[in-house]
Amino acid sequence: MKPVITLLGSLLRQTVRNRQGLFWTLFFPVVLMIVFSLLGNTQNRVNLAIVAPTPTSSAVVRIVEHSPFFHIRTMRRQAALNAVRSGRLDAALLVPAAPQSRTTTLVLRYNPANSLSAQQAVGAVQALVAQADLALSGRPPRFRVQATPLVHARASTYLDFLLPGVLALMTMQNSLFGIGSGLTRWKEKGILRRFRVTPLRPLQFLGAAILNYLLVGLASSAIIIGFATSLLHASVDVPLGPVALVLLLGMGCFLAFGFIVAGVSRSQEATIPIINLISFPMMFLSGVFFPVSSLPKILTHIVDYFPLTYVSGALRGLMSGQLTWHDAAFRGDLLGMAVWLAVAGVVAARVWRWE
Amino acid sequence: MGMSGKSLRLEGLTKRYGAVTAVDRLDLTILPGIIFGLLGPNGAGKTTTLEMIEGLRRPDEGRIWLGDIDLIRRPAEAKRRFGVQLQTSAFFELLTVKETLELFHSLYSHPLNVGDLIRRMDLEEKRNARVGGLSGGQRQRLALAVALVNDPDVVFLDEPSAGLDPQARRNLWEVVLGLKAEGRTVVLTTHYMDEAEVLADRLAIMDHGRVLDEGAPRELIARHLPAAVIEVDRSTGIAGDADLPALVRIEEREEVTALVTRSLEDTLTGLVAWANEHGRQLTGLKTRSATLEDVFLELTGRSLRE
Ligand SMILES: Nc1ncnc2c1ncn2[C@@H]1O[C@H](COP(=O)(O)OP(=O)(O)OP(=O)(O)O)[C@@H](O)[C@H]1O
Ligand SMILES: [Mg+2]
Repeated sequence: MKPVITLLGSLLRQTVRNRQGLFWTLFFPVVLMIVFSLLGNTQNRVNLAIVAPTPTSSAVVRIVEHSPFFHIRTMRRQAALNAVRSGRLDAALLVPAAPQSRTTTLVLRYNPANSLSAQQAVGAVQALVAQADLALSGRPPRFRVQATPLVHARASTYLDFLLPGVLALMTMQNSLFGIGSGLTRWKEKGILRRFRVTPLRPLQFLGAAILNYLLVGLASSAIIIGFATSLLHASVDVPLGPVALVLLLGMGCFLAFGFIVAGVSRSQEATIPIINLISFPMMFLSGVFFPVSSLPKILTHIVDYFPLTYVSGALRGLMSGQLTWHDAAFRGDLLGMAVWLAVAGVVAARVWRWE
Repeated sequence: MGMSGKSLRLEGLTKRYGAVTAVDRLDLTILPGIIFGLLGPNGAGKTTTLEMIEGLRRPDEGRIWLGDIDLIRRPAEAKRRFGVQLQTSAFFELLTVKETLELFHSLYSHPLNVGDLIRRMDLEEKRNARVGGLSGGQRQRLALAVALVNDPDVVFLDEPSAGLDPQARRNLWEVVLGLKAEGRTVVLTTHYMDEAEVLADRLAIMDHGRVLDEGAPRELIARHLPAAVIEVDRSTGIAGDADLPALVRIEEREEVTALVTRSLEDTLTGLVAWANEHGRQLTGLKTRSATLEDVFLELTGRSLRE
């Protein structure tokens, strides 16, 4: 045990001294989050143009104007439609010149390209119109929702969504590249061979290396969470036990993948393209930047079983407060990761080579 | 420490790489407490032989004994008792010299003191320097220090003086002789004849995975080259022409032509006669006794560093 601890100490010391490596480990996630938190909250209000030629419709306009959910501007018809078409506005509400016989039709033209803001626009306008309808009819409403903003409450931002995704992404990248560029390089340079003429057992060396990667992974996750919550004001839950468990299991999976890649490829140069081949699809499909549910249905049937999907899903569930230890969905994610770990671990043990 | 009194015996040791037989039914006995040199051109099989003994490569055939211990069956024994400097040693670049030694120190049950090793290898100035910033010679010395950390009975040095300046080589020789004085067995490979001549108690000359001859350096010279070498400048043109008495062999080496002879007097007389007859000047004429280098050429037909 003593040799393993000394070796682990040496490896950790190396990691900390590798300034460049540390920089790149933390740089990418930090930049991602800063960029998105700056872009962040413009999406919260719907940008709505109102094309309202006559004073008769001013009642609708007035109600809409007072809603906190809208950025309103009145425009002429053609200008409004152009703005929507080009994506500068979310939707244009066309109010007819004169009230029609029984029901007046308000036309809402929206841009379907941006599905999220379009949905938001349609939903919000419908709700408002219903409200306006009631108000105009003069009858007292049967139900009323009293919406009161909470003090100190804040909008759930894209950053809150992104943070667990970034953590999952780091888990994958650090583990794959840790083995791919660290261990493989030690192997190539003959550092591993030098240990093989000592009484240190191969498994002791691997154990220390794996512990090193796990500790470094947990530490960098903690740094990223700390950065996002304290400086960028991300608001997420961090239930320590379950989050750490997910991170560890996730790193386990990807370390095993790393060992497989290192085992089958002859040189360090050969590992990088293979690692990219594995990580790229998951980086974009597995719910790091946008939810898996927004993918085409056929694709989700496959992507749901990707290891990174389990990691990002579990982390996002935990950090948004939607999943706890007791949820079947959470346990399903854990099981998924455990299966990947077991399968990849067995393959890794078979293909790993010391030389 | 030392004085294990166990000899190292290789029996029919063989290693093949595809069509190449790197080591070919090698038999060798290395007595305890001596410095044993393996001499051979590139690709002769020296490193392969050492690394099979060290347990890094599995022989295809043959046995390796340390006294009565079968090292192929019990490789752990080798790892405890052997100190190894590999031909291409690498250590973690971001650790310091001291940390590297401490790391290896922690792997053994009866290690030597790290501070002493640093002093002994003259690395005190570099004690806290990162391994990545060491010069080639300093790295060699660190590798040697690491090889000694377990207080080994047998020390294997694979080309320990490669890349050292002349002064550093002499320091290395001191260290190696010191190891012998402490009762350790040293097995080393080298490309340098002078090194082999100065250090080795016994030498094996290898090529194509086989031992061509083995013995004390003086013995080898006497056996293969009973007399001497005459050297003249190549410009004399003797090489294409001469039929001199007692001549063993003529060799062209860069600027000089070497005449290896059984009888210095006879050949020299003949050479002078040849020069007179052809009206040539014997520029650069020199005579010397045969060296290991000559033996090596005699045996392998190639120069050590070609
Ligand atoms: N891992 C290997 N795979 C294939 N061939 C190998 C391998 N190791 C050594 N060989 C071959 O075995 C032969 C002996 O190599 P070895 O390294 O033992 O020579 P050497 O005497 O140490 O040479 P040098 O003086 O250059 O260090 C060479 O022909 C070499 O190409
Ligand atoms: Mg060699």
